Amino acid sequence: MPISVKRWIDGDETAAEMLARVSTERSVLLLPPPLHRLPLRVGNVVELVGPSPSAKTLILIQAAINMILPNEWNGVHYGGMERSVMFIDLDCRFSILCLSEMLKHRILHSNGSMNKMNQKQKDIDMHNCDARRKPNFPYDEELYSMCMRRFLYVRCYDSFEFLATLKTLHYQLQKEKEVEHSSIHLLMIDSIGAFHWVDRASSFLPLGVTNRSHSVLRFLLDKKTAIILGYKVTREKAGHVKGPWRNWEKPSLQSEFETVVQEIRKLVQVHPMLIIATKATGFGDRTFANDASRRNSVLDTLDTRNVASNTRQLPYQEYMPSVWQSFVTHRVLVQPSGDHCTMVDHENQSLYFSEWLLPSLGFLDKFIVQDGGVLAQVTAST
Amino acid sequence: MAPLKSLEQEYSFIDSNFQKFCACRGIFTVEDFLLCDLHSLTVFAEQEPNSETLKQGITQVLSVIDGQHQPWLNGMDLLADTIQNKHILSTGCEGIDMLLGGGLHEGQLTELVGPSSSGKTQVCLQAASNVAKNHMGSVMYLDTCNSFSAQRVACFVGLASNLTLDQAKHKILQNVMNNILCRSVFDIFTMFDVLNQLEFNLRSQKVGNHVRLLIIDSISSLITPILGGNGSQGHALMVSAGYLLKKLAHEYNIAVLLTNHTVGGEGGIPKPALGETWKTIPHVRLLLSRDRGNNICSISIIKHSSMASGKAARFTIYGL
Repeated sequence: MPISVKRWIDGDETAAEMLARVSTERSVLLLPPPLHRLPLRVGNVVELVGPSPSAKTLILIQAAINMILPNEWNGVHYGGMERSVMFIDLDCRFSILCLSEMLKHRILHSNGSMNKMNQKQKDIDMHNCDARRKPNFPYDEELYSMCMRRFLYVRCYDSFEFLATLKTLHYQLQKEKEVEHSSIHLLMIDSIGAFHWVDRASSFLPLGVTNRSHSVLRFLLDKKTAIILGYKVTREKAGHVKGPWRNWEKPSLQSEFETVVQEIRKLVQVHPMLIIATKATGFGDRTFANDASRRNSVLDTLDTRNVASNTRQLPYQEYMPSVWQSFVTHRVLVQPSGDHCTMVDHENQSLYFSEWLLPSLGFLDKFIVQDGGVLAQVTAST
Repeated sequence: MAPLKSLEQEYSFIDSNFQKFCACRGIFTVEDFLLCDLHSLTVFAEQEPNSETLKQGITQVLSVIDGQHQPWLNGMDLLADTIQNKHILSTGCEGIDMLLGGGLHEGQLTELVGPSSSGKTQVCLQAASNVAKNHMGSVMYLDTCNSFSAQRVACFVGLASNLTLDQAKHKILQNVMNNILCRSVFDIFTMFDVLNQLEFNLRSQKVGNHVRLLIIDSISSLITPILGGNGSQGHALMVSAGYLLKKLAHEYNIAVLLTNHTVGGEGGIPKPALGETWKTIPHVRLLLSRDRGNNICSISIIKHSSMASGKAARFTIYGL
């Protein structure tokens, strides 16, 4: 037997060794409720599905805070992972003040809990926290700015910017590794379906369609719409005019997401990361019922796998291309409870439901948003 | 986005040879480049005789692509930008200012939702006059239903125009009026024209006085006519309008105030028009309603990016 084959059969580590290696390299990441139910590691792709508003972005921010905080700092336990995170904002509604406030709240809370023995002292500290001159543990500006610097953010106003961001993300990650010396463990996308309508319109415009009779008015309206939606005269300049309609070019939704998935897949191979993407639903709304059935018939022709998933009676209308669907490894549905003041004992608390759809756990979790944006699970007894 | 040919002059490696290499693989524009698999393209390039220059060409196109997205910022940079550039504009209406923690935030879209005659236009006019008077900025007012009233603005400034105004007061009133640019807009295409022109002016810094507030009263009367029917063009235009507004708001530090009407929802309970898709556009949604028979309005938060919904306040609209 050739030596190389023998070596291959022998293997180079025992199961115990491998388990030890994998559990350090691909350790379970600390995530806030409702993502804490299952162990999530780098390489997983999690989709948070829910109507707007259902605390999706808040969950992302809390997950980011868990990552950017150190485990321990100056003798205080913060329980973070001390990693950088990346946030790609497609919704363009992210507020940095929100993250800043929640981070401060977490730091103060951890500082405070260390001192629970001395309640009086804590009260004084809470009082003084604005003045920022606490004798025992001053508001730690250094820790705060260190954490904030680990949060990396980019916003995209259209799908081209999104693709351009992904295409050059590899360089950005490399750069970050050199500067911060900490690798990025979490990539967040808020929200993945943001440009759905704009990009999907391309399949409805009479682009390159043969012999469709259109009135002059219709033609002009379509042309105007096409210009606004960013269709550019591209082929003409490149010398490839095949007809009056061929000029209006835009990649289809399908090919766009094929590229998105391909880019992320390649990235994760080189830089192991957990991906969390939010997805807004709401198309299952009753007022959209007509619309939804029509969309279904359109999707039938577009890709058949979607229909298969629709027959499984999802609680929402699926609209993402199948290439993205099959890329997702975990899916969680979040929903606001009908009325948000069911927990009357505290005023600023809203109650949400969450449910694991992939893998299906078959039960509902409840969680609340407490002061300072902290997510907490509600036990079944309440 | 640009065809590769147009990059020829600026980038030495994107020469006719490189373009030919790309054209063989169906790549004519930077857009096509975005959709292609760079790894396999590099492998192809390596098989060519002049592989080094081709690979440098690929790197140059990548650097062009790198300039096509917004820059990456870390949390501290973002915070500095927000604190320095994104101010809070008082609306001049105490109830609303209290509710929103000071007023309208620059960089954000605030939407007023309410049935007819619930005071939406009054809030818009008051915010316009207050920003024009007290914040030294100009206001762009897109009026879709001929409801803009200069008299009302004068009234909010506290200087109802009558003959007894003295010289100084007349000057103030003139300044306020000069700061409010009102445009009548009756369809969404005109709105895109106006907004694109505004963006062009802001980018080339042609605007004399800094625009700080953009009001569209009402956005729903522009969007509703294009929704429905077959095809998703209406939705596409609606989402594009939303993104254009967000871009204007964030990149040029403008507070955007929109109004939206209500329609009958489930069980006859009124709900905001424009449906689920529009829900993801504004940062803040406020519901307005007015008591019958008097001028007291109540306002409550339906959605806020950093505040719990459900908070409410009341305020009075003073008569003419």
